[in-house]
Amino acid sequence: MATLDAYGPPGNLDDLDDFGRKAWNKFISDTVDEAIQGPDPRQVLNDSPRPQFYNLTGTDTASDVQRVSITWTSFPRIIKITSVGDLQRWQRADASRDVQDEYCEWSVTRDGSGKITRVTFTCEGPEYWEVLAHTNPDKVVDLYRAFISPDVRKEDLFSPSGRYQPRNKWNDSTSHGAMHLIQANNTLGAEIELAAAATIRRVVNGQELSTEQELVNCSKYGAAERNSDPHIGAGVNALARQRADISLADPVGLYFDDLSTDGWETPDGSDPRSYWTYVRGDSEHRVRAVYEVPQDKGFAVGDITIGGRPIEFGAQIADFITIRLTGLACRFDGSTAQPQTACKEFPAVDVRPEGFGASAFSTSGRFLDPRPTLSYRSSRAT
Amino acid sequence: MPDHAQLRRATAWMSGTAVEEGDAARVSVALPDSSGHFPPEPDIADGACGPGSTALEPGRLYRRISGRDDRARPVRDEELAELGDPMAVTFFRAGRFPTTVQELLSELPATAAASRKVYLVSEAGQISPGALGERDMRFAMTTAVEGNQVDLLVSTQAGGDPERGFLQVAGWDSAAKVFNFYARFESSWVWAGNSWHSLEPDSRGKGCFDSHVNGSAVMKELRIPWLNWQSERATIRLAEDDPLRQDQLFQQVIGAERLELTVRFLVTRWTAARLAAVTANGVVDHPDRLLRHLFTNTTVNLTSTDRQSSTITADSGELTLPSGFWLNQDLLFDDLRLFTQAAPPRAPAAAYLAGLTRFGFGLEEKFSGFSQPGDTFFAFVVPEAAHEDNEVVRQMVRKGLISARFAACALMVDFPNPVFSPARSLLMRYVPTTPTKAAELGEEVTRAILDAARTRNLPADSPEARFAAHWQVPEDAWPSVFGQRVDAYLRKVTQRVQTASGFDDYVRLAESRRRQFRRMKLHEFELTMPVTNIPPGAPPLAMREDGTVTELT
Repeated sequence: MATLDAYGPPGNLDDLDDFGRKAWNKFISDTVDEAIQGPDPRQVLNDSPRPQFYNLTGTDTASDVQRVSITWTSFPRIIKITSVGDLQRWQRADASRDVQDEYCEWSVTRDGSGKITRVTFTCEGPEYWEVLAHTNPDKVVDLYRAFISPDVRKEDLFSPSGRYQPRNKWNDSTSHGAMHLIQANNTLGAEIELAAAATIRRVVNGQELSTEQELVNCSKYGAAERNSDPHIGAGVNALARQRADISLADPVGLYFDDLSTDGWETPDGSDPRSYWTYVRGDSEHRVRAVYEVPQDKGFAVGDITIGGRPIEFGAQIADFITIRLTGLACRFDGSTAQPQTACKEFPAVDVRPEGFGASAFSTSGRFLDPRPTLSYRSSRAT
Repeated sequence: MPDHAQLRRATAWMSGTAVEEGDAARVSVALPDSSGHFPPEPDIADGACGPGSTALEPGRLYRRISGRDDRARPVRDEELAELGDPMAVTFFRAGRFPTTVQELLSELPATAAASRKVYLVSEAGQISPGALGERDMRFAMTTAVEGNQVDLLVSTQAGGDPERGFLQVAGWDSAAKVFNFYARFESSWVWAGNSWHSLEPDSRGKGCFDSHVNGSAVMKELRIPWLNWQSERATIRLAEDDPLRQDQLFQQVIGAERLELTVRFLVTRWTAARLAAVTANGVVDHPDRLLRHLFTNTTVNLTSTDRQSSTITADSGELTLPSGFWLNQDLLFDDLRLFTQAAPPRAPAAAYLAGLTRFGFGLEEKFSGFSQPGDTFFAFVVPEAAHEDNEVVRQMVRKGLISARFAACALMVDFPNPVFSPARSLLMRYVPTTPTKAAELGEEVTRAILDAARTRNLPADSPEARFAAHWQVPEDAWPSVFGQRVDAYLRKVTQRVQTASGFDDYVRLAESRRRQFRRMKLHEFELTMPVTNIPPGAPPLAMREDGTVTELT
């Protein structure tokens, strides 16, 4: 296979103009290159470089390529294990986008009686919207009006100076819409960095690490408490242990994998899955979904039961959604990269105030690290 | 000579309980979970739902319901006509008898292939591939043959000779609304009964119903982190050159988190069918068969932390112990909706590590001689209240067979002991065993308990008196009153678990419950549970509402 001409937008969406597509390709390609390079070894030990990770636009993909999908549950595990009972965890997960940290966020619409009429799910990373806002701001407004509310005004989304506000009144809650991911760790940059870091094999004290928790604890590429990070890392590392070269499939993104409706029942016996609709992304790369019953059916989402219990929370649906990323692996048994023999470490550094520059903030405004070479990369490490 | 799988499986039948119950069964149809293996040799199957001493003709369906049939006999035409599940319809009625899982799957309609999900389980799955010769990998598969919902479950050994490995099937008959259970013996098949047989005294707990205790699908490790299953929390370890990697079914394996959703649904579906049937004429013929799900544990699930035990260090932070160890959270909080502000108790990692040493935790398999120090892969595995039991209670409340208040008053009798509670079990004596009007079931039991509490001069801490006291709480207040009690209990536990003595007590309590689990037929593999240096004959323990642990008297 030849090299890729350019990375496509998530879901092969067609919102971007030519300039925007070029900008997007540049963003992904640069992020992949930075992830391959890894952090400055003077500042972070045993985490760079990542020679088994490659850029699809710069390195060819060999004919023995395998596509590997890694899926995980969209309900946030941290909430699950720190709650007693389902009711408590559903309430907590529905309360704030900031806890919806499995690359899937949702917003719930209710009628006057409080019954759920629609739940909207998104797995679109914020970076795409940053690029779109930079290159075609009017399109951003159009999309918000189409998918969130016709009442959206441009000034709701952009600062007076014209900067896009990812957390705006139409995208910062669990009740007034969810246009794209805003939870601090839910970024495509984080996905790329995690995948790259996970290609490092670790042989510590003569033992090759292979389990989800061993790897995430040692490589520190994410939070062990999440469903996604350890699972993605272990899946990627399993390919790395086969001495393959690894990349994320184009278009790089996070996608809806499936909605299971086992145990769901509708009042009229209709198929509960028929009310699940993908509204953005191509058929292989879904990035936005809505669960809603047409008005003429005479019942609403809140009348549907799961295991005999009415749907009272969007989180009940999230239990049944899986999110997916797809990796590519090729040149099996071909890599000569040597494993790291120790875990990732941060040596003590003398952090000075001047280190806290603008680049110490991610695109979503979240402080990551005072060391400039680290700060511009998204990270799910906490 | 039985093979290793049979030996591993056979450990369950050496328990005292199994012998006492006079159940000579040594094999099981167990789907779709980490359950048993049918041996290829008929002599081993003697006494179970296998063929017994009967020599089976190839290409034929036999019937053998353990406890009811001494030996296998050919299924009669009228019996076959009544088997309406996809296995019977697609294969047996058409005179087809697949001998391998590949053959079985390939002959199903294309729609079934599209809906097929494959899962992988092994109690030895996280043990280094080189440390243990045979690791008992099993595939569990679900598929929807006749509609959109799962109606066929297949369990088989992963890898090896598909004609010799066990192959078991549970098929849902959507007309009769039951599961039928089948197993293949060489080129023949045996029908081992249907869901209703699990409830009948002669066949209950026998043959395939040792694990399908209440006639439904089983997944013992139903909850995150799905101990022993390949899941989003853990990948089963294989050697790089393990031929299983090339197996087509292995390459389709997905995470057990998906199977949890399916099994919960399957339990719900069978329970709904069961309750609809037993209340159809307004009279419940066997009220005890329903209410034992509230007052006793007909079976259990297994739960644990979702922390890999070997990665826990003293500075790992606190360990969230499984909520099901402390109480029946599903019923109390989710179904009965007690008002709670509680959070799950957390234990210091250092205390956990100290406990591993002090109590000599290890994994041992006697017949293979395997042993290694430490806990199970996921730390702190314990039995918890079974989803199967909870689902019956949940649906009884929804159907109005019993009130939520009644269920809450019963559970609160000994809520710190969600499993193996003698106090709660004692109340079974007030449950009628003769036909009772469905609409009066809850009232009748309530009246019997209240009468006993009032007339028999029972102590205030007797189960009857406790129930009676709960019943005095006003109708509109019990969710908050009981919720406050549960919250207070969890606060005390949260404090005690921080102390070395408190944590050790909880380790002893956990081991006490594990010992009780080991006496159940559901305990099929030695590696399911850790062993400790706590003597096997140590007195059984119970939790008290003040968070202390006491010997059961």
